[in-house]
Amino acid sequence: MARWGMVIDLKRCIGCYSCVIICKQDHFLPPDMFWNRLVIGETGEYPQVTKHVYPVLCNHCKEAPCVKGCPSGAMIKRDDGIVAVDSDKCVGCTYCVIACPYQQPVFHASNSAAYFAGQGLTELEVIGKELYPIQPGTVVKCNFCAERIDEGLCIGLKPGADRVATPSCVNNCPAKARIFGDLDDPNSRISVLVRQRKGFQLHPEFGTDPSVYYIS
Amino acid sequence: MQPYEWMAQDTPQKLWIDGKGVLVWFAEVFGALGGGLYVVSLYFNSLEGMFISWLVVVTLKCGFHFAHLGRPFRVWRLALKPRTSWLARGFIFLALFIGFGAVQLAISLWLPGTAWEVVFKVATGIMAILVAAYTGFVMNYVNGIPFWNSAVLPLLFVSFGVLGGLAVITVIAVLGAHVDIRAVVAGIRLLLVVNALLMVTYLWSATYMGPTGKRSVEELVRGYLAPVLWGGVVLCGIVIPFGIVSFYHFVGVATVPLLIVVACVMIGVFSLNYCLLKGALYRPLIPTST
Repeated sequence: MARWGMVIDLKRCIGCYSCVIICKQDHFLPPDMFWNRLVIGETGEYPQVTKHVYPVLCNHCKEAPCVKGCPSGAMIKRDDGIVAVDSDKCVGCTYCVIACPYQQPVFHASNSAAYFAGQGLTELEVIGKELYPIQPGTVVKCNFCAERIDEGLCIGLKPGADRVATPSCVNNCPAKARIFGDLDDPNSRISVLVRQRKGFQLHPEFGTDPSVYYIS
Repeated sequence: MQPYEWMAQDTPQKLWIDGKGVLVWFAEVFGALGGGLYVVSLYFNSLEGMFISWLVVVTLKCGFHFAHLGRPFRVWRLALKPRTSWLARGFIFLALFIGFGAVQLAISLWLPGTAWEVVFKVATGIMAILVAAYTGFVMNYVNGIPFWNSAVLPLLFVSFGVLGGLAVITVIAVLGAHVDIRAVVAGIRLLLVVNALLMVTYLWSATYMGPTGKRSVEELVRGYLAPVLWGGVVLCGIVIPFGIVSFYHFVGVATVPLLIVVACVMIGVFSLNYCLLKGALYRPLIPTST
């Protein structure tokens, strides 16, 4: 079985927020919710300042604290390494949000938020609520576009190589800074990149073994 | 904190203290208080105390947790993963405490002096300690918040819970229950010293949890949370009650100052939990200068 993972090339990333926007658009995320974000900071002091731009998303950790901490079994780890939430089982205790050291799960309190406050939902938002319903009172998070991967695999496509079966943020990165593939396959492009360019994970000391690697 | 500083710098934990999160704060306090009061009531063999502690856990602790859940009618699902989740274990401890406690209270009321009473008192007592302590383990598991990564945390919850329990039983004693008030006061005096030591140990150990843990302590000691720590936890929760109970150790017990002690201890317990939740900071995701 594959273990899906992602490599983000920090040298290529231009901090354009495409991944953030396309993720919101594809999943019809409400205004206050982000599954992809950019974390931007700096180190050093003027004139020796280094700017850091890190695109972050759910790390789909091998030892996911959210999965272990979830008391209801709603947070699940699939065989292919994707950490997903079963909204029908989620109690909304928000412990997964607290337990995630990367702060990626999001609690969706209510469906009332709209992009144009006081003017009702747009046609797109209405369609979105039908196509990608999010249960209020539950936790949601990035699922590596599992629906695209599953559908792609059903018709014999290869995630990471075929666009249809690849997460939207990877497809829509204009700088091609994101690479998706199978971490368990030593010959996959992402495994080679991790090996050759010394890929690193965020906070490996937490022992979570994230499936998202960064190269710089 | 500005939105662009999110996880680029030490990021405060807000979900369990701001907005609807205050319900978690109340639930934690009443869990510690309920558990602590049961243990104290067991020691002083006060049926009234046991009943009140059971009531506190059933109505306040469970009520606040229930109100906080996004999907409260799926609450039974909280018990499904005790093998890995401290929250699930806590839910089971709560359910067992409520079940055992109800049976024990019924036996104590209608069949006092039987062996079953002892059995259920012991079982409920163990569950009471676990109800008070499990929150500490729930928080301790969160490795993104160095401030909570201390083995002292569960002890702190139990210790402050028992102190709160002693305060409540003081009121019960003043209202006329058969409780040795001098023993209660001696217990409060001892617990105040123990809690002060535990607090210092906890804060001191948190400063060794990296820069984020150190910043949490700094916020508490001399940051925006300092009034709550020094005014609520130290002054109201420890210094004033200790002064009063020490004074009355020499001149005898009086009711009014004892009720001041009770009020101060309660403020201390609430303030401590507030500090623990509000002072929690997540480690930044990216390299920082600090």
